[in-house]
Amino acid sequence: MAGPSSAAAGSADRNSNRPKYSQFSQQELSACQPIVTPKLVITVFTVIGIIFIPLGIASLSASNDVVEISDRYETECIPAENRTTKDAKIQFIQNSQSDKTCTRSLTVPKHMKPPIYVYYQLDNYYQNHRRYVKSISDQQLRSPGSENDTSSCKPENEENGASIVPCGLIAWSLFNDTYSFTRNNNVSLTVNKTDISWKSDREHKFGKDVYPKNFQNGSLIGGATLKSSIPLSGQEDLMVWMRTAAMPTFRKLYGRIEVDLQANDVIEVSLNNTYNVYSFNGKKSIVLSTANWIGGKNDFLGVAYITVGAICFFLAACFTYIYLKKPSRLQDPSYLTWNTNPGPL
Amino acid sequence: MRGWEKVGSSRSNLDRAGSTATTNRITSTVRLGRVEPQAPGHRTIFCNDREANFLVRFKVLSFHLYKSLALLCLLYADSEDSAKFQAGHNASPPPPPPPPPLEEGESCWKESHVPRAWLRVLRDVVKRLIFSLTSGVRGNSISTTKYNVLTFLPKGLFEQFRRVANLYFLTISILSTTPISPVSPITNVAPLSLVLLVSLIKEAFEDWKRFQNDMAINNASIDVLQGHKWVEIPWRKLQVGDIVKVKQDGFFPADLLFLASTNPDGVCYIETANLDGETNLKIRKALEKTWDYLTPDKASEFKGEIQCEQPNNSLYTFTGNLIIQKQTIPLTPNQVLLRDFVLSVMLEKRIPRASEDCNGEMVLGPDDRETSIGHILEVGCSLRNTEYIVGAVIFTGQETKVMMNSMNVPSKRSTLERKLDKLILTLFGALFLMCLIGAIGSAIFINRKYFYLGLTADVEDQFNPDNRFLVFILTFLTLITLYSTIIPISLYVSIEMIKFIQSTQFINKDLHMYHVETNTPASARTSNLNEELGQVEYIFSDKTGTLTRNLMEFFKCSIGGEVYGTGITEIERGAAQRNGGNVGKAQKSPGLVHEKGFNFDDARLMCGAWRNEPNPDTCKEFFRCLAICHTVLPEGEESPEKIAYQAASPDEAALVTAAKIFGFFFYRRTPTMIHVCESHVEKMGKVEDMSYEILNVLEFNSTRKRQSVVCRYPNGRIVLYCKGADTVIYERLADGGNELKNITREHLEQFGSAGLRTLCLAYRDLSSSSYESWNEKFIQAKSSLRDREKKLDEVAELIEKDLTLIGCTAIEDKLQEGVPSCIETLSRAGIKIWVLTGDKMETAINIAYACSLINNDMKQFIISSESNEIREAENRGDQVEVARIIKDSVRKELKKYLEEAQQYLRTVSGPKLALLIDGKCLMYALDPTLRGMLLNLSLNCTSVVCCRVSPLQKAQVTSLVKKGARKITLSIGDGANDVSMIQAAHVGVGISGLEGMQAVMASDFAIAQFRFLSDLLLVHGRWSYHRICKVITYFFYKNLTFTLTQFWFNFQTGFSGQRFYDDWFQSLYNVIFTALPVVILGLFDKDVSAKLSKKYPELYKEGIRNAFFKKRVVGIWAFFSFHQSLVFYFFVSTSSSSSQKSGKMFGHWDVSTMAFTCAVVTVNLRLLLMCNSITKWHYNNEFFTIYVLMSTICFYLTFLLVPIAALFGDFIFQGVQRWFFPYDYQIVQEIHRHEPEHSSSMQLLEMGPPLSPDEARSYAIAQLPREKSRHTGFAFDSPGYESFFASQAGVYVPQKAWDVARRASMRSRSKLPPKS
Repeated sequence: MAGPSSAAAGSADRNSNRPKYSQFSQQELSACQPIVTPKLVITVFTVIGIIFIPLGIASLSASNDVVEISDRYETECIPAENRTTKDAKIQFIQNSQSDKTCTRSLTVPKHMKPPIYVYYQLDNYYQNHRRYVKSISDQQLRSPGSENDTSSCKPENEENGASIVPCGLIAWSLFNDTYSFTRNNNVSLTVNKTDISWKSDREHKFGKDVYPKNFQNGSLIGGATLKSSIPLSGQEDLMVWMRTAAMPTFRKLYGRIEVDLQANDVIEVSLNNTYNVYSFNGKKSIVLSTANWIGGKNDFLGVAYITVGAICFFLAACFTYIYLKKPSRLQDPSYLTWNTNPGPL
Repeated sequence: MRGWEKVGSSRSNLDRAGSTATTNRITSTVRLGRVEPQAPGHRTIFCNDREANFLVRFKVLSFHLYKSLALLCLLYADSEDSAKFQAGHNASPPPPPPPPPLEEGESCWKESHVPRAWLRVLRDVVKRLIFSLTSGVRGNSISTTKYNVLTFLPKGLFEQFRRVANLYFLTISILSTTPISPVSPITNVAPLSLVLLVSLIKEAFEDWKRFQNDMAINNASIDVLQGHKWVEIPWRKLQVGDIVKVKQDGFFPADLLFLASTNPDGVCYIETANLDGETNLKIRKALEKTWDYLTPDKASEFKGEIQCEQPNNSLYTFTGNLIIQKQTIPLTPNQVLLRDFVLSVMLEKRIPRASEDCNGEMVLGPDDRETSIGHILEVGCSLRNTEYIVGAVIFTGQETKVMMNSMNVPSKRSTLERKLDKLILTLFGALFLMCLIGAIGSAIFINRKYFYLGLTADVEDQFNPDNRFLVFILTFLTLITLYSTIIPISLYVSIEMIKFIQSTQFINKDLHMYHVETNTPASARTSNLNEELGQVEYIFSDKTGTLTRNLMEFFKCSIGGEVYGTGITEIERGAAQRNGGNVGKAQKSPGLVHEKGFNFDDARLMCGAWRNEPNPDTCKEFFRCLAICHTVLPEGEESPEKIAYQAASPDEAALVTAAKIFGFFFYRRTPTMIHVCESHVEKMGKVEDMSYEILNVLEFNSTRKRQSVVCRYPNGRIVLYCKGADTVIYERLADGGNELKNITREHLEQFGSAGLRTLCLAYRDLSSSSYESWNEKFIQAKSSLRDREKKLDEVAELIEKDLTLIGCTAIEDKLQEGVPSCIETLSRAGIKIWVLTGDKMETAINIAYACSLINNDMKQFIISSESNEIREAENRGDQVEVARIIKDSVRKELKKYLEEAQQYLRTVSGPKLALLIDGKCLMYALDPTLRGMLLNLSLNCTSVVCCRVSPLQKAQVTSLVKKGARKITLSIGDGANDVSMIQAAHVGVGISGLEGMQAVMASDFAIAQFRFLSDLLLVHGRWSYHRICKVITYFFYKNLTFTLTQFWFNFQTGFSGQRFYDDWFQSLYNVIFTALPVVILGLFDKDVSAKLSKKYPELYKEGIRNAFFKKRVVGIWAFFSFHQSLVFYFFVSTSSSSSQKSGKMFGHWDVSTMAFTCAVVTVNLRLLLMCNSITKWHYNNEFFTIYVLMSTICFYLTFLLVPIAALFGDFIFQGVQRWFFPYDYQIVQEIHRHEPEHSSSMQLLEMGPPLSPDEARSYAIAQLPREKSRHTGFAFDSPGYESFFASQAGVYVPQKAWDVARRASMRSRSKLPPKS
């Protein structure tokens, strides 16, 4: 056939149109077939069981080794007459004149090896609320040049026309309860408050030459004040606080006690209960805890591992039983649907 | 004035091309689609005078240049002078009445709005310049591209945003720039731009391919008269008025005025696609005045002027005059040869559909024939049976009628994609619900008591506790932005990429679908429908050219109870192999003759060897019968090598050719004599000329099913030779000779079951006296005026009796290679194959037998218009009554058969059913009142054969099943008459590599052979379906999981819409971390190898049942993503709520990073779990992704626990499902698990192409049980046979080239009753 069909094909016509062979285009790349066979299922479950149960036991025992003392104090640290209603509590906490010191005594149940971490724990506190989380200016925290970069910090961005450093709700609501510890009557325990923040925060997030300015100058005081002589990268409490928590119940590191605490030691905590959690029915606790390779007390991981491992073992056993009792339908052509039920057509 | 009309008309072209703003008095804009009302103006073309035509163009160009320059001058002129200048300019002489395109600009000018006017004028100048320049350049070049360099970006982007998903993401992106958004805009903008980028690149690539196609066509060469000789120039340089020469089988490069042809009477034959389809030839006749302009010398003298209509899209009208030698001659469409070749109607551009009107109703009823003419296009015309023609170019390039007709038809979308839309809608529902819950929660939560949130009096609306309703609304919007990831943005682009690679790399390059003889690989012309190929349930197939090669070959014969011919048909080979015997290639005898129509091999008959057979006399009669009893005309030189037989049917030609090769060479026919050159009759090697006097010819017709010739030997012997269907011959045999009859009947059945077309041969010696007495009656009957045919038939009965059986012939209607086995395989795959053919019922049945679509164990329902009642009504000639009678009988039969069919279905082992219906009955059966019954009946039948159907009916049947039964349909065909059917079906497949391009152009996939359908469907289609299902469900799963973790998190944030994950993580989750691996899965996943796919065609049924994308499957995925998201969120948040080893606590972003890592790892592991095969590509991707994250985090404990706990359920599910409720493919996997997968195409490559797929296929048939058929195919019913003799008009016959040519030359005679 003459005409454009041959002409259109042009020079390609002279050569062959035969496609070139390649493993790719012929879809013949070598491949392995991972087939979830009964044997594989049983093996996998057994293996998971074998790995998980020891792991679970290990982490559970590690978690058990951790000594943790927790004391909830938000109600107890309010004078009895102010405890009656919520409004009374709020009134008490907002009154700058009232005496907010309070003493709690904790008994050490077991020997605690240093470092003993001191945490405060807040409940029903939505540090992860969107309005809260975004009320921060990373530029401002990092460099002094961006001091006025506070647009994201509303409503805590400026006071009397001057920018607040650090601006934003997070900084403004800085936790301001303070703790001091004495052991067995009057042997005071020093709390090391250095290196409680993440290194990356100190080095990259908070500037070394950014100093607090205009902070907590407003009519409404949200929380702690900062010493304006210390740069932000030195304000470890601020840094800890500003690493917002993911959950509404969270702990934040307060400091470290670097001496051994013996069993039955009595720790006196004299605390300054100034942070307002009463308006939103929050809770406050103080926590003393040791840590080992697994971290703080955390039974969940161990329990989960053991549970999953146990289920695996159980299933492996079940499947083995079925496997031995009942032959597999696989590999048997008679189970092909067109062999089992020949359709009408 | 004429000169101005010229300019105007040329301008109209320019205007249409670009600016609709400028209007033109002389012409109206021509839009594509419907036939536009004719523009009042016309144009003039000076033939063979480039200068004159150029002058027209030049005038236009110069006018534009002048005007542009004038305007430019104007710009420099003082604005006060401008009015004056303008006035002067308008009055200035060159081109007298200028068209008023600048009205707009001018009016602006008068407002003395200088800067705006400047711009407008400048714009206009540029436009004018571009148009005037390009109009000269374009000439005959066509462009089917969608974009050009300038329009690509805006138009491409517009196209992209027409997709709802993209628009959705655009909205989300815009939303995310507002303060209510919890995420930074990058989260949504980055993936969207990536997706758009990929899509645009793909568009650009496809358009580039289109452009290259256009270029290929535009550069095809054509002979043009220049001076006094023909010069080859590319098509694109062709200009209006040029004189061109188109050679035989060439395409018309533009719309031409037909001037002269090499055929003596100024006619030429062109092949067109039209209603009665096939490769029907049409006749065009040149004006007598122009017949002589054939040679270059003569043609160069031709100076004519054509006044014609403006370019329009009406294919069937043409008005114009030719002014030649001061004489005006009207032109008709009969003198116009339309351009036909638009190869690049590639991906999107299609010819309008024939079968569906706008409201989706099926077009029915006889009235629609007229309306559908407008739709079915004459896309393929090319010159046939004419050495060359000379024509003058009337319309070029974009102005040709075919280009004016091409329009964008929305491309087909696959069913799976439509189901995907539903899934997306469901996801929207889920999104809405999640947002609703969150928004309500936030409205309740927000409270001034949370003093640390700073909810002072002037707090923004979103957090204002005083207006909780506004909080609700705004948070709703926030959450939509946050949860937008639930709609997988990269899904569409991933699927498109996968499909694109599948079609370009896998389907187009599959060596199994490469046809060596025609050098044609398969080609996927659209990438939208790959997975649709995996779900096809009904195949509608054309017969001629698709199932068969339309080639009749003399294959076997039985003479006097002895079978001759050693050939083995494909069907027999399959049968033999089933019985364990291995039939190799038949060893060919030396000196084997093989020519067109003859494929017989048996040394016992060749070269006179038949003399040594036990019954040489019978052989002699046999051969003489073949040589004498026919209506073939010999043509050309009277030598055995050169002679050409013009026969009404290829069957007859094959028989006469066979006689020639056996030594009975029929070489001349005169009205009364047949001359045969007989060899070896008396003695070996002796040749003698014999002439037989033909006394009577008793014609073939469909009731007689036989044909007889009474002849007188030179020695005075009078013999009646008869050939016909076995049934009619056996009724008329003389008594006795039962043994021969029985043996021959056995042979007939044997031939029939081998798929051969049989004819019985018989003779009768007549005594002179009995002949004379009969002849009187015959002459009487012939001259009777009333009921002549009936009387002739009756008279024939008198003499066609007491016949002596000679034997029978078997002709192979050559099937395309591998057709029966492919059909077997496909039907095992649960695919029902319907044959829709223009052929007669017997032919269709024969082929259906040959293709093993029908066998004798089936209950056949035949609805035919060939009943006596109908025929009588037709003879009475009252059309209304005929219609009523046919309709009644169709209704009765449908009802009867339907009841019967339902009865069979109730019984357990009822026979399989087959429905055979002809076109006339089908027309009534498709009536809305009967349609339901027809559908019901046909869906219960295993095979359906529709014969004598028009292309429109083919489309109607297709859409009956497509819309009525909601099954996925595939149409396959090769010719223009299949175009409508191909477009009507879900998937259209064209047979490529042969002459016709139309079917291919309309198709979605083009393959060279019918048998490749099994590869296309069972391998590529099935894999694609599996892969796409997996990709979709996986996308659904991973995005739902991801979004649900956000959802759970929001419960803990006071429903504030805080994001859980980092912006970058969230945006990269979709496009980087999880997108690439799934694309790899979509490309490479293979459940079972190609070999096994074809070995177990039943696996395909999973696709028909849509087993992998059902609500249940999606539900299970949804359940597991629910489970996993819970695990991610709660495991991670709980385990990370305790302090770290150094005593420090995790912040929000630490927790979310951990959760994200776990999610990504889990989701990718899940992908591995769902892979059926893992190639090295998988490894690379998976590990790359995981590695990146591993290095960032060291919380291995959680890391180990979470994915395992998350995937726990999936793993159990997958194991249990596989174990207890396996899919078929899984069983097959298991059975062949330990077999190494050899690379079969490696063998293909090494052994050379043709053998191994063949063997593989015959092996596949060998697996099947098969009943022996008692069908004896009777051959006297080939296409065109009846037409040759038909005296009534209006019989539908697919015509062949030779037929038309012949009729054209015998027009005057064919009207007369045939003479003896």
